[in-house]
Amino acid sequence: MGVAVLVGTRKGLFVLTSDETRRDWKVEGPHLTGWEVFHATRDPRDRALHAATNNWVYGATAHRSSDEGQTWERAEGIGLPEESGLTWEKSWHVEPGHADEPETLWLGGTPAALFKSTDGGETWKPVQSVLEHPTREKWNPGAGGLCCHSIQIDPSDPQRIYIAISAAGGFRSEDGGESWTPINSGVAADFFPDDPFPEVGQCVHKLLLHPARPERLWQQNHCGVYRSDDRGESWERLEGNGLPSGFGFPIALDPADPDTAYVVPEEGAENRVTPDGRLGIYRTRDGGASWDLLQDGLPQQAWQSVMREGMSFDRLDPAGVYVGTQSGSVFASPDGGDSWVEAARYLPTILSVEAAEWQ
Amino acid sequence: MAVVLLPSLLAREAGGEGRFETDAATVREALRGLPIRDLLFDERGTLRPLVNVYVDRTQIDDLGTPLEAETEVRLVAAVAGG
Repeated sequence: MGVAVLVGTRKGLFVLTSDETRRDWKVEGPHLTGWEVFHATRDPRDRALHAATNNWVYGATAHRSSDEGQTWERAEGIGLPEESGLTWEKSWHVEPGHADEPETLWLGGTPAALFKSTDGGETWKPVQSVLEHPTREKWNPGAGGLCCHSIQIDPSDPQRIYIAISAAGGFRSEDGGESWTPINSGVAADFFPDDPFPEVGQCVHKLLLHPARPERLWQQNHCGVYRSDDRGESWERLEGNGLPSGFGFPIALDPADPDTAYVVPEEGAENRVTPDGRLGIYRTRDGGASWDLLQDGLPQQAWQSVMREGMSFDRLDPAGVYVGTQSGSVFASPDGGDSWVEAARYLPTILSVEAAEWQ
Repeated sequence: MAVVLLPSLLAREAGGEGRFETDAATVREALRGLPIRDLLFDERGTLRPLVNVYVDRTQIDDLGTPLEAETEVRLVAAVAGG
């Protein structure tokens, strides 16, 4: 079985393909020229490609392809209801729904909105409960806008959904998106010195659920790296034990090992670049108790930035890990981070990478 | 028939068609009849601010401008972006 890495950039979508050795990569594309691809993914249920697409003139939308990117269809008129007083600004993340709901997908973006499709991405309806959330007036935009960028479905229960919004925090639904409970207990918001642990307002950068232990969540936050083992009811901060910084954007997991995670720290909020003059990817294999620097095959003398969607992992054994930099390189590890190859370089600014099975 | 001409990105989104004939009475009606109307107007029906409309080579702000036979409407993206 082959692997593809869907690379969303400011200038369209690229598809990197390899066989299961994941050492030699072929670059195809760009697809969706003229569009900024904030995120693209392959639906494992029907193998369709979906992309969260934006254009500075023509607005925010979503595209889908049923022929591996050769042709694309645009979603029909995504928009927010008039009574919300809001208009749709940016599409950030598209997430296939639960395996038991084959036509359902979710789309998140700016201004802090979530859409649901029940027809495979042809049409999208706004999720009112997010627009009308009782804490919404306490949400504030981060540098990327008030964006809903993380959507995770519990594989053991299609009614349990997690979303994360910058800077509103994480939220869990137990009723398929009808209502949302903030899950930010123990997550710091150090930028509120008068109340550093509010109910909402945290600047989560990326939130993931472990597919094999779905009560375990991980998040890379503006203020640290965190793990929860109780569906977000409480969080443990995981820095100061090998990580040079708690600040960063992406996070990746190993689908076969709930104790393994990967982050790409940056110096801090005031200087958003990888520290120590290298592209440093850090891995924990003990649930975040300790972190090790990975560097075999990664560049030294490098000052890099990786965006929140810029890291992904595949489901092979051992897991492959993928990192796309703002400077247009994709680094691929076929062995869980032990060694890396540069799968592509000189791409446009990379906004997202996502691994998928490919023929 | 009046004709509406699209820039290349919009033509791709319209299935490869960059030229649409129309018997609409106004520019607004012509634009709202296009298959890419969602890329021109937001969900409130407001023309996106960086979409410029030219009628017979003159830029217009009033989408109520009437169309006549042989009128050429050209959509041009503003000079913006990066």
